[in-house]
Amino acid sequence: MAQKSWMYSVLEAVQWEMQNDPRMIWIFELTPPVASNPGKPVINLETEFGRKRVVNTGIDENWMASCCLGASLAGSPAATYIPYQGALMPFQVIQNVAGKLRHMTGGRAQMPVVWIIEMTGQTPGFAGQHSCYEEDSYYAHVPGVRTVIPSTPYDAKGMMHAALRSPDPVVYLYPAGLRTLVEDVPDEPYEVPLDKAAVRQEGNDLTIVSSGGGMPEVLKAAETLQGEGMSVEVVDLRVLKEMDTETLVNSVGKTKRLLTVDQSYYTLGPGAEVIARVATEVEGAKYKRVAFPDAPPPASPEMFVWMRPDAEKIAGAARELV
Amino acid sequence: MDNTTKSKTHASESDDAPRSESRRGFLKIAAATGAVVSMSRTRAFANGDIGYHSQELPDDKLIDMYRTALKIRWHERTQADEMLSNPDYRGYNHFYAGQEAVATGICAALRNDGPFDQIDLAYSSHRPSGHAIAKGVDIPKMCAENDFRSTGLNGGYAAEMHLSDPDVGFIGADGMIGPSMPIATGSAFAFRARGSDQVAVVFGGDGTYATPHFHSALNNAKLLDLPFIYVLENNLYHQYAHYSYSCPHKDIANAAAAYGIPSRVVDGQDVFQVYNAAKEAVDRARAGDGPSFIEAKTYRYYNHWGAPGATAGELGAFGYDPLAITSFRPEREVRAWMQRDPIDIARKTLVDWGVLDAAGADAIETEVKAEIAEAFAWAAQQPFCQPEDGLKNVFADGAVPARQFG
Repeated sequence: MAQKSWMYSVLEAVQWEMQNDPRMIWIFELTPPVASNPGKPVINLETEFGRKRVVNTGIDENWMASCCLGASLAGSPAATYIPYQGALMPFQVIQNVAGKLRHMTGGRAQMPVVWIIEMTGQTPGFAGQHSCYEEDSYYAHVPGVRTVIPSTPYDAKGMMHAALRSPDPVVYLYPAGLRTLVEDVPDEPYEVPLDKAAVRQEGNDLTIVSSGGGMPEVLKAAETLQGEGMSVEVVDLRVLKEMDTETLVNSVGKTKRLLTVDQSYYTLGPGAEVIARVATEVEGAKYKRVAFPDAPPPASPEMFVWMRPDAEKIAGAARELV
Repeated sequence: MDNTTKSKTHASESDDAPRSESRRGFLKIAAATGAVVSMSRTRAFANGDIGYHSQELPDDKLIDMYRTALKIRWHERTQADEMLSNPDYRGYNHFYAGQEAVATGICAALRNDGPFDQIDLAYSSHRPSGHAIAKGVDIPKMCAENDFRSTGLNGGYAAEMHLSDPDVGFIGADGMIGPSMPIATGSAFAFRARGSDQVAVVFGGDGTYATPHFHSALNNAKLLDLPFIYVLENNLYHQYAHYSYSCPHKDIANAAAAYGIPSRVVDGQDVFQVYNAAKEAVDRARAGDGPSFIEAKTYRYYNHWGAPGATAGELGAFGYDPLAITSFRPEREVRAWMQRDPIDIARKTLVDWGVLDAAGADAIETEVKAEIAEAFAWAAQQPFCQPEDGLKNVFADGAVPARQFG
């Protein structure tokens, strides 16, 4: 056990899986699989496993995603790190091939493949194409692909182990804004399930549901509200597909107030799905949604910061709801 | 110095055969006999040589090219200095310094003034400020845009990576690698469909070779004989990786031959060489003879993004870039390329040709520095954006609802 950063925790899981399965491969472009952490050895997958198994490619995310799918179909667990610039370039192969393949083949296709897809949209000034956080909604819509979005280094490592061992294809969303988080993470391998939400804080007056890059601001807002005497339950979705309806229904069944918070666009964002699932199960609850407006993120920090959901806006919406 | 010998061709004979069957046969004989023959308004050139079109340009056009290259250089240097020394400055750039001759030489061969349905269109990359200046974008407004001001070229919505000014045919920057190439062929398709002699040019780096878009653009441009020019600026690095990680060719122009597209490899540090290749390609496109591919060998003086490793007041970045984790450029490589500086080469050529003397060249540089300093000063006084305006420009009319407050 040691205090570890996000990327160190993830690469520790990948390193362990690659050491224990010589068939496994890793593809990257531009973002080398290298991480360091105080008091721990540097992890460098490229030097440790060599360029036959770990390859730095050209800028072609469609190939990266396809190559990993093909490797998995050939029996090699495979993972790739797709930087945010190319977050949706592989969409077609994930949506129209990988997502349908098990079903189309009557269950015969095995796909131990993980696409780590970076998300941004947390930094002012990055302008339209480099601020995208919207891929959570797109990938969550695809059947047959498990879409997960850890929000802590502990979950990041445990979900990476689980994803690499899963026979299902996994879109593993990585909100880059969380790269500075540090927490205690065990050295040994462990799994965090790919179908369970996490209750981060228990309370009775209001349930706030968010995921990934939305979590730090939600926890900050919850602390403020707690200080004002509101008893807030915070649920971290962790998994967008398949979404853990039970945890959501249990929580809102108790609080009767649900506020969803998305960093992605309002229309068809994760919050819309959360409210739909809860509303069909829980009687007499009240709802509110905070999300990024249905507009591309503008370059100007004045516009962007005003549009982005943050702790203050979340707390404001919570006060209106309770 | 015979500059034409520095260019080489990858066009097979059959590639441009349709246009020049008879002339080519004649030139073969001329070349075989070593004859120098006068042809119409210019000299004959050996099979595969580019005509030295720059020499036919009037002095004021040549001086304009030098001035444009200088504007780009001083824009980049001034912005780098702002980033390094002014804590209030918020802009950034993927600096173009070192590559000035490419944008300048290409755009000098294009039609940049006039009604929108007659000017040539340029699609830029994520390294757009040089292309923008060369195409004729208003520099003060571009400076304001790069610093997120509401009176900037694109109202503060774009910043550096999405600069756009259709009025001068600058369709704009694209922060992604690849998508602009097939899109540019679409503009070329429209020109052909409506019988216009306009030309579409796309600028891309060596990193574009690996993308599916590269191959799709070339294939379709050739299949449909589109008035399309692919300008590949090979500055050796895509982001932080040498292009040998993503392309098996030493000359990426080799790839054009596979699509039947005539190509040129040019010295991207010599604006007049670049112009020669651009003129040839533009003439081919306007004549209805289809696409061309130009690979300009060049180099960026700064790192991929921003000014890490650079020092205020000094040209180039030699220090460590923390983003270049496993593959960063040797300082000596940067310094070696700076020995063949595009600004110095342009200046020396014009002085050698008697177009400018040293005093005249100095005077132009002084004027350009003042113009750029004024542009940055004007930009710094422009207002910031109104937060609520972020909800506008999503559709042609109106604004979308705020959703961030619940």
